[in-house]
Amino acid sequence: MRRREFVVALPGLACRSGRPRLNVFNWSDYVAPETVPAFEAEFGVRVRYGTYESGEEMLAKVLSGNSGWDVVFPSNSLVEPMREQGLLAPLRHAWLPNLDNLEEGFRRPPWDPKLDWCVPYMWGGTGIACRREVTPPAGWASLWEERWRGRLTMLDDPAEVLGACLKKLGWSVNSTDPVELRRAGEEARAQKPLLRAYVNAEVRDQLVAGDVLAAQLWATTALQAMEETAELAFVWPAEGFPLYADNAVILRESGRVELAHRFIDYLLRPDVAVAVVKATKTATVNAKAKALLPERLRLNPVLYPPAEVLRRGEWFTALPAAAQRLRDRIWTEIRAA
Amino acid sequence: MSRLRSWFLAPAGLWIAFFVAAPLGVVAAYSLLTRGTYGGLSEPWTLENYLRLADPLYLKILARSFWIAGLTTLLCLILGFPLALFLARSGERKHLYLALVILPFWTSYLVRTYAWMFLLRDTGLVNTLLIEAGWLERPLALLYNDGAVILGLVHGHLPYMVLPLFATLERLDRSLVEAAGDLGAPPRETFFRVVVPLARPGIAAGSLLVFIPCLGAFLTPDLLGGGKTVMIGNLIQNQFTAARDWPFGAAASLALMVLVMLMLGLLLRRGGERFL
Repeated sequence: MRRREFVVALPGLACRSGRPRLNVFNWSDYVAPETVPAFEAEFGVRVRYGTYESGEEMLAKVLSGNSGWDVVFPSNSLVEPMREQGLLAPLRHAWLPNLDNLEEGFRRPPWDPKLDWCVPYMWGGTGIACRREVTPPAGWASLWEERWRGRLTMLDDPAEVLGACLKKLGWSVNSTDPVELRRAGEEARAQKPLLRAYVNAEVRDQLVAGDVLAAQLWATTALQAMEETAELAFVWPAEGFPLYADNAVILRESGRVELAHRFIDYLLRPDVAVAVVKATKTATVNAKAKALLPERLRLNPVLYPPAEVLRRGEWFTALPAAAQRLRDRIWTEIRAA
Repeated sequence: MSRLRSWFLAPAGLWIAFFVAAPLGVVAAYSLLTRGTYGGLSEPWTLENYLRLADPLYLKILARSFWIAGLTTLLCLILGFPLALFLARSGERKHLYLALVILPFWTSYLVRTYAWMFLLRDTGLVNTLLIEAGWLERPLALLYNDGAVILGLVHGHLPYMVLPLFATLERLDRSLVEAAGDLGAPPRETFFRVVVPLARPGIAAGSLLVFIPCLGAFLTPDLLGGGKTVMIGNLIQNQFTAARDWPFGAAASLALMVLVMLMLGLLLRRGGERFL
């Protein structure tokens, strides 16, 4: 065997020596502790399970086309870019009998109407978490009030911060209009002196401890904090708010497409999905699972906002390069101000 | 003889070729490409990424990074010099003290930065103690400002200043210090006119070892600055993550590298024989 062939064949040999192995790369804290071990036991396979903290981190790794992962979980706004880049393998619905468990709305999501490339997994939105001792903010506009000075945080994420400013001004979170984006940037700079910091999930402890009075936060993170203390409330902003969904996809580089389908189908089982919701406090896209949830979760307005609230939500979408570049410059301006 | 020499040099040469020259070449190539529609790289080849750097916004961020890195270096020097002097003169126990200086390296820098967050926050140790002692009524805003960033950077980089200073000061000829005293120089004069000039190589090496990594810092400003300040390192990191603009990030990092090299070159040329 020539050396090159040997190197190429190595991973295959490693596989043949044991049980087949599936490589799954998911957001951190996005399955229940028993989800993966139970799959391994039932299907007689091994799973290499890795986690990431940001969609960009995952994208940077899989862009190479030989990252070694089979199944990853991009947000809805990344599905189309990943497909365009030829990173995704088409799905075979014949191998996904549990697809029928999906909620009506997630069987034809705007980012992949026929589910040719992705299967929605979990979803959520961004709102405001606040301490109960203060008058709750009604919407994004309240976060410009002097009373928060030094005790307010916004997310460390340009799409979220600009999204909140755009909503405050009555525009779309996905705006690509330079005039609207510049105005949103001005709003963010006007708010900055009131802010304690731009932080993500780390704010959870500071909200629980009472250092921070209000924070722009993902509903799922807020719910985790609310499990720790009764002192917190969550507001779905009056002006509207962004929504996102994370989706299971199979990478084109994967050599275990059938097993990958089996794994995704396994995640679609109601009992598996219920355990995941209980562990992660994140809303499932699975209608059958939702029906099985305890009332405390199923009727929780943070996890499942009522229909009239949900109507104010707007899905994040993929943005064209020029808008992305302008947004990045505005974000840098905000942070350097 | 020379054949033997080249054999011994080969590992280092290969190392540099594979782990310095090749990645730098990749970065240089990236910096001349264009961002793809959804990130990644695409044609055409262009110099536009470098032209974009001339933006006053980015120059302001660069100036800010120089200011923060410079202040950190100065503070490390002020704190590190007496410490190094003490180490150099502590005779037998020198090794114990040296071990203590290096001790923080046993814990990852990230973990130590998080430790600072726990110390500095409103309900953190420092504020709690001050309030319990009755010295404060409301917690001080210690975290998420430039002060916290500089504190974190000084803490993380102090050993890089102390170790080269110690190496120079230890070799310093004590008889010169004694001679200064014998000739009537008060301790202050002796320190500034004899010890400091003799320690110059250590000062230069320590300052470079602190200044250069601080200039590119991105973790500390993110965690202790709460994302409210941007250093050039944050700008570059952001291009590779949220902005998905690798070519611009590559151009920025290469430009920074060239700038630092030029400054080093100037410094060495002007004061080479005095410094190193």
